[in-house]
Amino acid sequence: MSASSDTAPHETAAPRHESTVVLPADLHARPAGKLAQAAGQFSSAVELDHDGRTVNPTGVLAVMALGATAGSTVVVRAEGADAEEAVATLAGLLATAE
Amino acid sequence: MTSSVGIVLVSHSADLALGLRGVAQQIGSDTVPVVAAGGTDDGRIGTSYDLVLEAVRQADQGAGVLVLPDLGSSVLTTRTVLDDHPRDDVRIVDAPFVEGTVAAVVTAAGGADLDTVAHAAEEARHVRKL
Repeated sequence: MSASSDTAPHETAAPRHESTVVLPADLHARPAGKLAQAAGQFSSAVELDHDGRTVNPTGVLAVMALGATAGSTVVVRAEGADAEEAVATLAGLLATAE
Repeated sequence: MTSSVGIVLVSHSADLALGLRGVAQQIGSDTVPVVAAGGTDDGRIGTSYDLVLEAVRQADQGAGVLVLPDLGSSVLTTRTVLDDHPRDDVRIVDAPFVEGTVAAVVTAAGGADLDTVAHAAEEARHVRKL
């Protein structure tokens, strides 16, 4: 897992965070539902990358449609005031999905 | 915790409505009121004005109710019920039955308002599953 934040000198950029998770299980309907509910609780813009596709994790159907399987890599990204917390929460859910 | 938008599933089949309710609650949350109004009053395939009316009442926690019909007379029966009992916070939505329900329940579980839940259900039409 890795996290980073931008420190652009000329902008007051919103905090950005990112984390990479190797899925312990397929990202099927139930974990997708949990993820979408959790993602909706943050004010930051959140994204999920998998296999060249990017979706908004608040959309449960879009998350399911990624077809992300056990052992594959998902990147969670957030930009906004609560970006760090959003990434930590969502990455935590992905890392413990059953 | 504030009350959740309620969801009513109107289907020609009681089994279909109840089965979808079970799926939606597993993926979404069992804290969202999801009420099935499937079949006729005597359990045959069809729709029931009284079952839909009662389901709306049961799903209502004060945050509004979204009604998802499967097909045909589910739409007509729901419209008749809502025309007879017009309320701004009870509405029918044009959405894929399964996908729209799952999206609506997950969105409602996050505490979203009626407009947001209805939008999530409608958007389900545009999300490819493959």
